Amino acid sequence: MKYEDYNLLPEDKKTAVLWKGGIYIGKRKTEEHTIVLYQLDAFYVEVFYTLYRKHIDRIECSENTSLLDLYAEEK
Amino acid sequence: MTKTNPPKHIVLYADDDPDDLLLVQEAFLQYSANVEMITAENGIEALAYLRSLDAFDPAPCLIILDINMPRLDGKETLKTIRNMDRFKDIPVVLFTTSSSYADRFFAEKYKAGFITKPIEARQMALIADQLVDHCSDQIRMNIKRN
Repeated sequence: MKYEDYNLLPEDKKTAVLWKGGIYIGKRKTEEHTIVLYQLDAFYVEVFYTLYRKHIDRIECSENTSLLDLYAEEK
Repeated sequence: MTKTNPPKHIVLYADDDPDDLLLVQEAFLQYSANVEMITAENGIEALAYLRSLDAFDPAPCLIILDINMPRLDGKETLKTIRNMDRFKDIPVVLFTTSSSYADRFFAEKYKAGFITKPIEARQMALIADQLVDHCSDQIRMNIKRN
């Protein structure tokens, strides 16, 4: 799937696609969120949870590999 | 007359991610009358638990293994379990963030289930049942009884 196509999906479709084909890269935490990074084909998807694996605040996509640096020290 | 409760079924779950350990424990709360969950942080701990059981201790009815764990990962743990006489036929599920075909194939090869960790609440709500469905029919019925 292309980045542009994925970005247009509604959230429930985004999570379904991610569950089926996303490759887990890592997890990090901020004061507000637990954020999980997946690779999906040639782009990256960050899932921002207010309640881990239960309540998603937002999903952000990026093709920028510098995103990986944020997860370098995390599992 | 004293009524004795039947012993609980044991589910052994190994995962180094404390958030996921907590989530699965929460998911199994609905079966807490019938299930006791033992947790381990890696494969070494999980195997140590299994080796600590004597012949009179009940074996787990289900073993849940994360794949990516430090010290000993889920796949190596599964291979070791399948070489242990007492546990070689116990239901095991690889419960993982991976959705790779190679990992799925590995699970099949070693007679294990394969479940990708949920991403959101609706998927999470199904997870305890999906895991329990890997138990034998009789144990599954026992676990799901009220």
